[in-house]
This record gives sequence, structure tokens and C-alpha cells, in this order.
Amino acid sequence: MANRLLEVTDLEVAYGDVRALWGVSIHVDAGSVVAIVGANGAGKTTLLKAISGLVPAKRGEIKLSGTSLLGRAPEDIARMGIAHVPEGRGLFRQMTVLENLELGAFQPKARANMKHALEKAYDLFPRLKERTGQKAGSLSGGEQQMLAIARATMSEPSLLILDEPSIGLSPLVVQQMFQLIEALHKQGVTILLVEQNIHQALKIADYAFVLKTGELAMQGTGAELIADPEVQKAYMGVLEL
Amino acid sequence: MTLPSPEILLQLSINGALGGAMYGVAAVGLSLIFGTMRLIFLAQGAMIILAAYLVRALFQHLGIDPFLSLIIMVPVGLAAGWLIYQGLFRKAAAEEDRNISLLIAVGVMFLVQNLMTVIWGGNTAAVVTSYTASGIELLGVRASFTRSMGFLIALAGTALVVLFLRRTLVGKAVRAASEDMTAATLMGISPHKVNAIAFAIGIALAGAAGVAVATTFPFNPFAGFIFSLKALVALALGGIGNVAGALAGGIILGLIEAYVQFFISGGWTNAIAYGVFLAVLMFKPEGLFSRPYKKA
Ligand SMILES: Nc1ncnc2c1ncn2[C@@H]1O[C@H](COP(=O)(O)OP(=O)(O)O)[C@@H](O)[C@H]1O
Ligand SMILES: [Mg+2]
Repeated sequence: MANRLLEVTDLEVAYGDVRALWGVSIHVDAGSVVAIVGANGAGKTTLLKAISGLVPAKRGEIKLSGTSLLGRAPEDIARMGIAHVPEGRGLFRQMTVLENLELGAFQPKARANMKHALEKAYDLFPRLKERTGQKAGSLSGGEQQMLAIARATMSEPSLLILDEPSIGLSPLVVQQMFQLIEALHKQGVTILLVEQNIHQALKIADYAFVLKTGELAMQGTGAELIADPEVQKAYMGVLEL
Repeated sequence: MTLPSPEILLQLSINGALGGAMYGVAAVGLSLIFGTMRLIFLAQGAMIILAAYLVRALFQHLGIDPFLSLIIMVPVGLAAGWLIYQGLFRKAAAEEDRNISLLIAVGVMFLVQNLMTVIWGGNTAAVVTSYTASGIELLGVRASFTRSMGFLIALAGTALVVLFLRRTLVGKAVRAASEDMTAATLMGISPHKVNAIAFAIGIALAGAAGVAVATTFPFNPFAGFIFSLKALVALALGGIGNVAGALAGGIILGLIEAYVQFFISGGWTNAIAYGVFLAVLMFKPEGLFSRPYKKA
């Protein structure tokens, strides 16, 4: 059996009386890229937030390398090796590019390795090096998304979570974004990716899950789901505008 | 009306700026605590007066020079701030209940006020040293020595805080948490730690401000509330979240007060100070020194 890094079992999450996830189970193997796709409001962001501790689970289990994450604070989960790039990027807009990156290595374990991680990040994202002293809020949308991802890699996380990294970017920049994700994958980073851009996401994903109104509708390898007529009918047509 | 001589204007400006710096340090403390907790710590003024009483006690009973007592007041303030957060605010902060936090701050204010009244009585107190009445030459005009020292303390305190926030990783974490607490937690930054740090520094500044107040102004247990209000005005002038701006806001407020007192009358100083406060909040709520890329 492959090395299970993340295992989510029968997860239920509710916002007050509104149930957002109804018994969802997913898993991520070490070294793979796993995509979560589905329409708007399907519960993708909620699933990611539950994993990183931003919303509490009502029922079910979430395990990272066999250790339960339930009931832990987001900062503790971050320290356990999950780096979450949230919807809206969560940049510190009034701080510089360099300061944002440094904060990505805030955890004691990462701090010692900061210089090396910074070099690596600047290698992968040369644009950021040019902008090192600029405020994050002054960057273009694409650069901001690159910064958010670069910052998340600073802690050398065992799992990198990306919530719709391509949202609001021009097609050209979207291409660059997916190339970057592949480059990170090649470096051995395990990635859990939520995307509206379903075709692109399935193309780079080793495995994927389809969420539909808070429930798991389908799962399979990226190639299987791309070829699936139901997926094509339900999602690709709508989203490949 | 004849214009006063340039010397008088300069004298007014120096007095106003030196006095206003004290509102400024109080405002720097408020700014830090507001930054991470979104709490207006109304008890800050009372903490400053409490510190002033402690400085007086150290002077009267142990003969410790008020300015020398800084080396006691600052570390004690750091420890007290940390304990105040952990003991009183941690739970409300964990539940993100800002109303409860504000009520606790008001409770602390009344408690400290009453404790001071019980221990030291309600009368006006002052610290009189051999150098209290002495002056120094500043730009050709005489300025009070103690007020000048108070100004230096305010400047040095603010500079240290700014250096901490800009140069150290923990300071950067405090700034990050002030901008976006959720994003900060995703970096592994603990909200309780940054809140406690903000409180520790805020109360340490109150300790330093207590030294400045004790040596320059007569004070009483009830002066703290007005002090908090003035600090709030300074905070609004400087822009909430702008630490150096808070000091500048205090100095501007001190200048306004000095001019109003001289050109209009002492009775108008508070009314005009609060009028400026409202005007700033209405027309420039981001403060007088706002920079681009403020959080929307
Ligand atoms: N903070 C919230 N409070 C209440 N309901 C929410 C909240 N966030 C999301 N929801 C609801 O939960 C459901 C799933 O939302 P979300 O996880 O954001 O979906 P997705 O990321 O797939 O678009 C939606 O019906 C949404 O309205
Ligand atoms: Mg979403």
C-alpha cells in the first residue's frame, strides 16, 4: 500500500445549522498531487479549512501520518507540517515580499533552515526576488498568488494545500501557475489542490475527488475522471467557457 | 489681537510637544493591543497612573531616582502585561468575544482606580526631586528638564517598539497577526502568544510613561480615564495600526492643546481635542499619515 499521508474519514462539518459536508472521505498519498473539484458551494473550501483546523469537524476523523488532527488549533496543525494557501491568498499586504516569506518559515523547525528555503523559493520564483522589498499588496494578482505559494513552501511542509490558486488570473498566468505546481510536485512536495479549472486540475492530478453539495460524488485517477462522460457533461462544459 | 512673539510661540510649541509625547506613548500601547486583539484597552491610562504611583513609592520609600526606576518599571510592566493577558483576557480572546474583552478592560480600569484610592488616597500626588524645577536650553528657549526627559523616554520607547516590530521575526509575527490573524495562524503563529506579547509591551510602555508622568505632572487616581481618552484621540490622529504615527498623533494633540489653551482658553482644550477626534474619524478615519496598501 502507498504511503498514506492524509486520511479524512466520514467528515461532517456544519456552519451553525447549515451542514456543509456530509460524511466525506478522501486520502492523499505522500508525493502525489490530489485534486478536489466540484461546483461553487460544493464544500471544497470547507474541507480544506477542516483539515487545517480553521473550522471544527462535527463528526469523522482527519489523520496526518496516522496522527489525529481533530481539536487542534490551526497554528499547531501548521507546525505539524501542513501549509494551507487559503482562498483569497491570506498575504500580509502591508508587509514586504521578503517579510511574507520569512513568516512562512516562522515555525521553530523551519526557522533554522530559512536561508536555504529562501534561496530555493527565489530560484523557483525569480520574479519575487526582483520584488523582494516591495509591499505584497503592490504586486500583480499573479505575483501575489506566486508569493502565497512560495511562502507556504518556506516551511518545507509535508502537505501543501492550495485553494483555487488560479482564480482571477489571466490564462497565461494560469498556465505558469500549473507549471509551478508540477515543478513543486517534481521536487517531491505532496499537494492537495482545489480548483474550478477542472480540466487543468485533472490533467496534473494523480488522483481526484469530485464533491457535490457536500458529498463525495466520484473519485478516481485524473485520467479516469477526465475521460468520464458524466464528469465531462457535469463540469467541463460549464467550466471551459 | 496682536500676534505673540516668536519666542512665546516656540515656548508654546515645545511645551505642547513635550506634554503631548506622553499621550503618544499611551497611544503606542493602545495601538499594539488594538492591533492584535481589536480591543481598545481603556485601562491603559489607569495603568500609567498606577505606574506613576509606584515610581513615587520607590522614590519616597527606597530613595530610587524616578528616572533610574525605569530599569525596574519596564521589566515589571512586561511581566505584568503578560500576566494580565493570560489571567484576564486569554479566555475572552479565545472565544473572540470583543464585548467581553472591552468589559474586562473597563473592569480593570475601575479596579485599578479604586485600589489606588484605597492605598494612596484620592488627593493629588507629585514627585518632587532636586531637579524638578530645573530647565534646559532648547532652540534658544527654556524647556523643563523633566518634560524633556519624558519626551526622550517617549521617543526611545517608541523607537524600540518600532525596531522590534520591523527587525525581529517575532515582531514581524505581531505585525502579521495585526493584519490578518487567520493567515498568521496558518504560518504557525499562536494568537495567544502575539496577544500576550502585545500586552506585555503595552504595559511596559505604561511603566515607562508612568516615570514620565510622575516627574512632570501632578496626578491622582482618577486621571487615568482622561489619559486613555487622550491616547485614543492620538491613536485616531496617527492612524490605528501605525505605531510611530501614534506617537506623532500624541505630539500633535499636545500642540493643539497648548495653542488652544493660550489663544482661546483652558476651558476649551478638551472640547476642541475631542472635536478634532471626531473630525479625523469622520474625514480621515485611516489617520493623518495613512500610506497606500492599508488593509481595505
Ligand atoms: N462561514 C460560513 N458560514 C455559513 N455558511 C458557510 C460559510 N462558509 C461556507 N458556507 C456554506 O457552506 C457551503 C460550502 O461552501 P464552500 O466550502 O465555501 O464551497 P466551495 O469552496 O466548494 O465553493 C456553501 O453552501 C456555503 O454557503
Ligand atoms: Mg471555495
